[in-house]
Amino acid sequence: MKKPMPAPDADSAAFWRGMRDGALLLQHCGDCGNVQYYQQAMCRQCGGEDLAHRAASGRGRVHSFSVVHRAPGPAFKADIPYAVLLVDLEEGPRMISTYTGGKPEDVVFDMEVMLVCEKVNDEITLPRFRKA
Amino acid sequence: MPSIRKQTLRGKVAIIGIGMSSVGKVPGKSPLWLAADAAGKALADAGIGKNEIDGVLSSHAFASPFHRFSVAFSEYFGIQPTFSNTLQVSGATAATMFNIGAAAIHSGLAEVVLVVGGDSLLTGLTPDLALRSMTESRDQQYEMPFGIPVANTFAMTAHRHMKDFGTTSEQLAEVAVVQRRHAMRTPGAQQTTPITVDEVLNSGMVTTPYHKLDCSLISDGGAAFILTSAEHAKALGIKNPIYILGGGECYTHEHIFLMPSLTTTGAVESSRRAYDMAGYGPKDMDLAGVYDCFTGTVIMMLEDLGFCPKGEGGRFVEDGQMTYGGQIPSNTHGGLLSFAHSGIPGSLFHFHEVIAQLRGQCGPRQVPDAQLGLVHSLGAGFATNATTILGTENTL
Ligand SMILES: [Zn+2]
Repeated sequence: MKKPMPAPDADSAAFWRGMRDGALLLQHCGDCGNVQYYQQAMCRQCGGEDLAHRAASGRGRVHSFSVVHRAPGPAFKADIPYAVLLVDLEEGPRMISTYTGGKPEDVVFDMEVMLVCEKVNDEITLPRFRKA
Repeated sequence: MPSIRKQTLRGKVAIIGIGMSSVGKVPGKSPLWLAADAAGKALADAGIGKNEIDGVLSSHAFASPFHRFSVAFSEYFGIQPTFSNTLQVSGATAATMFNIGAAAIHSGLAEVVLVVGGDSLLTGLTPDLALRSMTESRDQQYEMPFGIPVANTFAMTAHRHMKDFGTTSEQLAEVAVVQRRHAMRTPGAQQTTPITVDEVLNSGMVTTPYHKLDCSLISDGGAAFILTSAEHAKALGIKNPIYILGGGECYTHEHIFLMPSLTTTGAVESSRRAYDMAGYGPKDMDLAGVYDCFTGTVIMMLEDLGFCPKGEGGRFVEDGQMTYGGQIPSNTHGGLLSFAHSGIPGSLFHFHEVIAQLRGQCGPRQVPDAQLGLVHSLGAGFATNATTILGTENTL
């Protein structure tokens, strides 16, 4: 069974293009300096629209995590157990992703992690994280 | 701010009828039937006919995915209300229906409002609808490609609570144990076999730190309530009206990664607003209905609703403070963990219980002299929070 894939929209098309090129693009607000991971054409802090995309360093830290033992549907059955991560990026924003390149039981709080751009198909590359 | 409080709906609206369908495994009955069955019972309890209803508020149902469930319900039930809406803020919907129903009555939009919900998550879902119920409320771009069910978002909040405050798996499990004990005294509860902390810890991991028995049930069932103005309740000669004293809501984020803090939630603000309107505080409450999709959710809510300081929820539960004889007997019917959890309407059962307790109708599980109760509903990884405070005539 196929996994759900992101369908890029007007707010997120550039982000998913960036992922395809191997960069996790954050939005930097030219008016107030706010940095956003969740893509929107307007700054959440000041409402400004002067947003510039810059590639994240990829470095982050695990704020919280949970290891999934019961898959949310048949598409993820083969993957269990897997660790879902809330990662605090070096640039500030927090994002959600999953752990790769190691056993889920190795994940601990505040662990340093590094971005992995995982190509799923010609259109979609997903941001995942490995131990730094 | 007493000058503002004067304009609120405090004490203006009474709950005059309550009803509930059978819950748990109720095969062969649709969500609309479960809702209608509960509505009929609520009308009988109030002693009025269905044509006296002029407002209908409902939640959605996964097993009957009508866009306008409240409108479909009215057709099914054979009424033509002049005020209606189908509310959707996930698990918080129950308390919002009471808050908005009371506001509609207070403002003159309606005089007799039926608050109703029903769903059949246990026997009524096709495999397709079951999958949707588990995943569709999460973001399709940023969450679902990674396989992130809603349970996982709640799990990450509880996990961080354990890290920051030393809350233990045993303390989480104790919530399930206490609520199971409560359910054993509730007629019709879905799960009534006693459980121990060890059994919770050995029930199999779902998503850390939650084991199977840390998670709420999957059930069929519906509940309904009749709300009207305090004056109309008097004119009808209602013997035991229960009043809405305060309501509050708070919506802090949509995505779990934009939650301002994983361990302090919008329940702080929603309950503060409800307490403010009611003119009572947490120490005044005789019992509570606390949304309990997972055990850790209850621990965090006991803190955020002001029953104990931040970080001490685990010890509070361990000390017996959420059961009879403790500071705030909570989920005395067994809650979503042991009574029933039929999806979005699940928290309506908390309302049913708190109102029945305030009426003194709970027999062997009655909280002595219960006069003031709080119900807190929440959903979507704490994205949505709504609180309602209820009281007897003595508390006005
Ligand atoms: Zn800005």
